[in-house]
Amino acid sequence: MEKDPVILSAKGLTKKFGGLTAVNNISFELKRGEILGLIGPNGSGKTTLVNLLAGNLRSAGGEIYFNGISIKGLPPYRIGRIGVARTFQIVKPFPGMTVLENIAVGAMNGRSGKKRTIKKAFSIAEEVLEFTGLSNDSGSLAENLSVASRKKLEMAKTLAMDPEVIFFDEVMAGLNHKEIDRSTEIIQKIRERGISVLMIEHVMRAIRSITDRIFVLHHGNKIAEGTPEQVLNDSEVIKAYLGKRYEQLIK
Amino acid sequence: MKKNLLLISILILFSLSPFLTSNNFLIRFLTDILIFSILASSWNIIGGYTGYASFGNVVFFGIGAYSTSILMSNTGLGFFVSMILGGIIAALFALLMGLPILRLKGHYFAIATLGVAEAIKALVQNLNITEGNSGIYLPPPEMSVDGIYTFFFYVTLIVLALLLFLTSIIFKNKFGYNLKAIRENEDSANSMGINTTIYKSAAFSLSGFFSGLAGGIYAFQQGFIKPEPVFNVLITIKMIVMSVFGGLGSLFGPLIGAFTIETISEFLSSYFLVAHTLFLGIVIILMILFAPKGMLDIFINIRKKGLSYFRKNIEEHRV
Amino acid sequence: MTLQILINGILKGGLYGLMALGMSLIWGVMNIINIAHGAFIMIGAYITFLLFNFTGIDPFVSLIFSSSIMFLIGYTIQRGIINLVIRAEIFITLILAFGIEIFINNAALMIFSADVRKVKVSYGASNFNMFGVTIPYVRLIAFLLAIAITIILFFFMTRTKSGRAIRATSQDLDGAVLSGVRVSRIYAITFGIGTALAGAAGTLWAIIFPLSPTMGGSLTLKSFVVTIIGGLGTMLGPVIGGLTLGIVESFGTNWFGTTFESLISFSILVIILIFRPKGILGKGKE
Ligand SMILES: Nc1ncnc2c1ncn2[C@@H]1O[C@H](COP(=O)(O)OP(=O)(O)OP(=O)(O)O)[C@@H](O)[C@H]1O
Ligand SMILES: [Mg+2]
Repeated sequence: MEKDPVILSAKGLTKKFGGLTAVNNISFELKRGEILGLIGPNGSGKTTLVNLLAGNLRSAGGEIYFNGISIKGLPPYRIGRIGVARTFQIVKPFPGMTVLENIAVGAMNGRSGKKRTIKKAFSIAEEVLEFTGLSNDSGSLAENLSVASRKKLEMAKTLAMDPEVIFFDEVMAGLNHKEIDRSTEIIQKIRERGISVLMIEHVMRAIRSITDRIFVLHHGNKIAEGTPEQVLNDSEVIKAYLGKRYEQLIK
Repeated sequence: MKKNLLLISILILFSLSPFLTSNNFLIRFLTDILIFSILASSWNIIGGYTGYASFGNVVFFGIGAYSTSILMSNTGLGFFVSMILGGIIAALFALLMGLPILRLKGHYFAIATLGVAEAIKALVQNLNITEGNSGIYLPPPEMSVDGIYTFFFYVTLIVLALLLFLTSIIFKNKFGYNLKAIRENEDSANSMGINTTIYKSAAFSLSGFFSGLAGGIYAFQQGFIKPEPVFNVLITIKMIVMSVFGGLGSLFGPLIGAFTIETISEFLSSYFLVAHTLFLGIVIILMILFAPKGMLDIFINIRKKGLSYFRKNIEEHRV
Repeated sequence: MTLQILINGILKGGLYGLMALGMSLIWGVMNIINIAHGAFIMIGAYITFLLFNFTGIDPFVSLIFSSSIMFLIGYTIQRGIINLVIRAEIFITLILAFGIEIFINNAALMIFSADVRKVKVSYGASNFNMFGVTIPYVRLIAFLLAIAITIILFFFMTRTKSGRAIRATSQDLDGAVLSGVRVSRIYAITFGIGTALAGAAGTLWAIIFPLSPTMGGSLTLKSFVVTIIGGLGTMLGPVIGGLTLGIVESFGTNWFGTTFESLISFSILVIILIFRPKGILGKGKE
C-alpha cells in the first residue's frame, strides 16, 4: 500500500480567547519527511495553533488528521503516544531530575514506550543525549542547565519519544549564532531520520536554510504560504512583520 | 549503598526488639512508630513522589479502621481478611475521590482533600452502621498479653516491609519515573504520552491502601474506635511533617521522620501532660523554618556550609 | 416558618462572610491559606470575653480592642515567622500555619481550660417581631456590623495608598517590587488586616455563640467553604459565600438535623471545588 504523502493535516482550526480570535480558521498540510516553517509576528497565534494540534487546547471546529486518523479532541497523552511530539516555547523540563532521566521519561513513554524495558529506555536516552550534544550534561539536574542546553533538552525529550511528527516551538530563541547553527544541523538530521517537522521560528537564517515550505500567521489568519523564497519576499508578509513603520515608508 | 546497608541493619535490629526486651510499653511504642512509618510512607507516595500534597490522607486511615471494625464485629470475619478488605475499600475510595480531585492543583487540592476527610468524618458521626459518635467495639484478640504486643509489632512490621519493598521496586521502574515526571511538570509529562490521570489515581490508591491497612491494625489494637480520634486532622499533619522531616520523596525518609517525631512526642507527653501538643506546634514551626528540606539535607550540607546553611535556607524563601 | 429559616441563615451568613473576609484577603494577596485563621477568631472571641468579664466593657465596643490587638499579633507573626518561608512550596506554608494553629489552640486550652464560656450581656435575649419573624437584636447588629466592616475594607482597599499598594502587589508582585513597594511590609500589613478581621469576627461570634479554645478548627473550615464558594479576588466573594453558606446551612439543618451541619458545609466545599474551583462568581473552571 502506498503511503499517503501527507502525514498530518489540519482543516479549519479556530481558537478564541474571550473576544480575541487567536487562531482563525487555519488549514494546512504537513508532508511526510518535510520541514515546514511557521512564522508570524509576536502574538500571531503560532503557539496557540501548536496547542490545538497537540491536544493542549480544543479547537472550536475543524479537523486534524494524523496518518489518516482523526486526532482532534484527543488528550495530549494520546497524541503523544500516537507519534506526535511537541516542545514548549517556555521550556518545561523536569527540573529535579537529571538530564538523562528527563530524556529517558520520553523513551519510556511516547510512541514506543510500551515496547521498551527500563534498560532499553535508558540506552535510547544515552543515544539521544549524544545526538543532541548534551552528553556533558547527562548527570546534571535539569534545573541547573544553561538556556541553550534547556532548549536542546526540549528537543531531546521529544526525540526520545520516537515520534513521526515533531512540533518545535522556537527552540532557537535566545541562542547565539554558533548554537543556532548546531540546532539547525540537528533538525536537518532529524528530518534525515524520516521525521516530519513543523518548526516555529523567529530566526530567519535558520528558517531560510532548512525549511521546504513556510506558512505565515498574522492576527490568527494565514496570510501566505509557499517556498521560503516566495514567502519571505511577499509584501504582505513584510508588512505584517514591519507593521506601521513599513506603511509609512511606502507613503 | 553504604547508607542503605546501615539503615537495613538498623531495621533488622529494630525488628528483633520483641526478643531483646520484655518491656511491653516499649514494644507498644515501637509499634506506634511503625504505624506512623506506614502512614508517612504512604503519604510520601502521593505527596512526596507525585507532588500532590494531600491534607486528607487520614480519611484512608479512618476508612480502613472502620471497615475492619465493622467487618469483624458484624460479619465475624477474621482480622487479617478484614484488614485487607479495609485496605481495599480505602484504595477504592481513594480512586473514586481522586478522579475528580486530582485534577485540582496546589491549595485547591489541599483544601479539597481536607474537605473530603472532614466530610467523611461528619458522615461517620451520623451513620447507623458506624454507630455515630458512640463508636464501635471490636472482638479482642485471643492471645496472651505479651503475645498481643508481639503480634501487633510484627503485623505492622510486615505491612511496612511490604510497603517499602513495593515502593523501592516501583521507583526504579517506569511507574515511578512517570510519577516523578508528573510532580516535576505535569504538562510536559502529559504531552510525552503519560496518562497523568491514571498514574496519579494509581499513586493515590496505593497510598490509600496502605493507610487503610494501618487503620485496620490500629482499630484491632485499640479494640474500640470513635470518629474523632480516628479521623483527626492531626494524624494527617503528622504524616506530612514526618515525610518532610525525613526528606520528601525518599524511601527511608518517612521512617526517620516517624521515629524522630514520635520519640519527641512521647518524650514531651511524658514530661508535659497537658502542654505536649503545644510543643508539637513549636516543633513543626521550627522544623519548617530551619529544616524545610528535611534532616538528611541538613546532615549532608551542614558539614560543607556550617551554620550558614540555615541562613541560606531562610534567605531562599523570604521576601 | 420558611421566612424565619431564611432570615436566620442570612444573619448567620453575614457573620460567616466577615469570618472569611480576612482569610480570602490573605489568600488572594499572599497566596497563603491561613489554617490558623479560626484560631485567630478564637483569640478575638476570648479578648471580648475577658474584657467583658473583668472590666465590663460592652462586647460591641470591644470590637475596637480585639481587632487592633489582632492586627498587631498578625503583623508580628507575618514579619517574624511566615515571611521567612513565604516563597517555599505552598504546602510548607500550610504546614507552618498548622503548627501555629496547634500552638495557639493548646496555649488557649492551658490558659482558659476546655470549659465552654458565654458572654452574658443583659440585652442578649431581647428581640423584635416583623412579619411573623423573630429577630434577636444582637444578631441583627452583628450582621450590620459585619457588612459595615466589609464596606470599610472595600474603601480602604480602593481609596487609600496602602490599600492600593496591597492590590498592586497581589496583581503583579514583580511590578510592585520594581516600583519600590516594600513587599515584606505590605505582606505584614495584609496579614495584620486579615487577622484583625478574624478578631472582629471573633468578637461578634462571642456575642452570639458560646466559645471554647477548640472552636477555631471548625471555623477555619467554614471560612474555607465561604472563600471557595465566593471565589478569590473580590470583596463581594466572601459576602456572597457567607450568605450562601448561612442560608444553605440554615435550611439543611432544619431538614436533616443539626448534627448534619458540618456534613452539609463540607459537601458544598467538595462539590464546588470539583465543579467550579474558582467559586460561583469566578469564571469557568480552574
Ligand atoms: N491562555 C490564553 N488566554 C488568553 N489569551 C491567550 C492565551 N494564550 C494566548 N493568548 C493570546 O493569543 C494570542 C496568540 O498568542 P500565541 O502565544 O499563540 O502567539 P505566538 O504567535 O506564539 O507569539 P510569540 O511569537 O510571541 O510566541 C496572543 O494575543 C496571546 O495574548
Ligand atoms: Mg509562541
